[in-house]
Amino acid sequence: MGFFKIMQWVVWKDLLTEWRSRETMSSMFFFALIVILVFSFSFSMDQQAAQELIAGIIWVAFAFTGMIGLGKSFAVELQDDCLNYLQGCPGSKGALYLGKVTANFAFMFAVEVILFPMFIVLFNLNVIEEFHILLLIFLMATMGLSAVGTLFSALTVQIRAREVMLPILLLPLVVPVMIAAVEATKGALSGDSFALYRQWLELLAIFDAVFMVVSFWMFEFIMDE
Amino acid sequence: MNKTMINRVIRKIQRYKGWFGGAAALCMMAGLYVGLLASPPDYYQGEVARIMYVHVPLAHTSLLAYTVLFGGSIWYLWKRDPLVDNMCHAAAGLTALFTLLALLTGMIWGKPTWNAWWTWDARLTSFIVLLLITIGYLMLRTFIDDPEREARYAAVLAIVGFVDLPIVHFSVEWWRTLHQPQSISMRGVSISSGLLIPLMLMSVGMSLLFSYMLMVRTQMLYLVNLLDAKKGRLLSQFHLSKAES
Repeated sequence: MGFFKIMQWVVWKDLLTEWRSRETMSSMFFFALIVILVFSFSFSMDQQAAQELIAGIIWVAFAFTGMIGLGKSFAVELQDDCLNYLQGCPGSKGALYLGKVTANFAFMFAVEVILFPMFIVLFNLNVIEEFHILLLIFLMATMGLSAVGTLFSALTVQIRAREVMLPILLLPLVVPVMIAAVEATKGALSGDSFALYRQWLELLAIFDAVFMVVSFWMFEFIMDE
Repeated sequence: MNKTMINRVIRKIQRYKGWFGGAAALCMMAGLYVGLLASPPDYYQGEVARIMYVHVPLAHTSLLAYTVLFGGSIWYLWKRDPLVDNMCHAAAGLTALFTLLALLTGMIWGKPTWNAWWTWDARLTSFIVLLLITIGYLMLRTFIDDPEREARYAAVLAIVGFVDLPIVHFSVEWWRTLHQPQSISMRGVSISSGLLIPLMLMSVGMSLLFSYMLMVRTQMLYLVNLLDAKKGRLLSQFHLSKAES
């Protein structure tokens, strides 16, 4: 099978299992909802304070939600020895990685797109003009999270205490994504001119490019049994 | 590396490590004497700035240690030498140690000069990320049973973390920064020679100390692995002989 064929099959398989079980997306969604609720109880926010804090809250909720999706991404392959068959798959392991990244990205991005209107409603946000830029920020930051996250999902799946180790290893590494995403979102939500927060989008682009390449390369060593 | 090569390296370490330890002690004693007693106090910061002679070398050495870990990890993934993996394991522990000490001395220095123990400055943040990565690295190693897989996964983590650090640094630099600029950089030296000499002595001494500790620790981890293997062989022999009788 060719490179893109393998990638296509992995994506298709993940989307199909998700469509049938609806396990990952629903757990991500409800977890994120609870995070939002906890935040709105812990800070008593008026609209002024909400404008200040909302970018951080959005990205904490998205990052934690992403952890759940990423953790499940390879954990489901443990059932019925699927992981062994994936590892035995002929051809490039990189195709496997890109397929998994695409699927994880799709899940995370879908959940974000569903959740964001809730943020708008619950925190009385005003985003009509900046919507396309926000979408771009979400796209790029989610790309970065899933690029590194998929690698670490594969790395932690076969070790003890994997539920704990994934966030412990992953969160320090995605500090740049978090900073850039929060700052850019804050800029977009408060209606600053694009030039003021363009640098954060550039940082996200650099992070995405670097870690797609590095993780693509490192994935071979993780899967090499 | 084959077995005789490994034995040769281990014997070399055994023979020469003392020189590194001795040289480190000499350099650091000289550096501390010049830095604490013979050199003038800093014009702006007074006596407080003398912690620089410990803080700056510690920070340098933690970066040196992580660079060794990074190089070793690439080498391991390429050649799969178990001895190199022992060295990586040793370097990771030392990176965590030196980073922690650099952060602590930095806090002690920060309180009187910035009036804050901690601030989210670029270098502080990248150092705490470095500390978290190395602690994660050490934790990861304890959670994997198969030694070959442990070495491979750890190497991957070390490489990804090394690539991440500059990006963390720049992202926080754009975000906010307070740290005083480096005194010694590509653009030249902006520090008087009276302060530079002890700083250099301490930096060299600390690097030598790191090499010494790296050798001792690598040797120890190698011997522990050897012992484990021997124990496994003896146990299986014992069970076999029991099964026969």
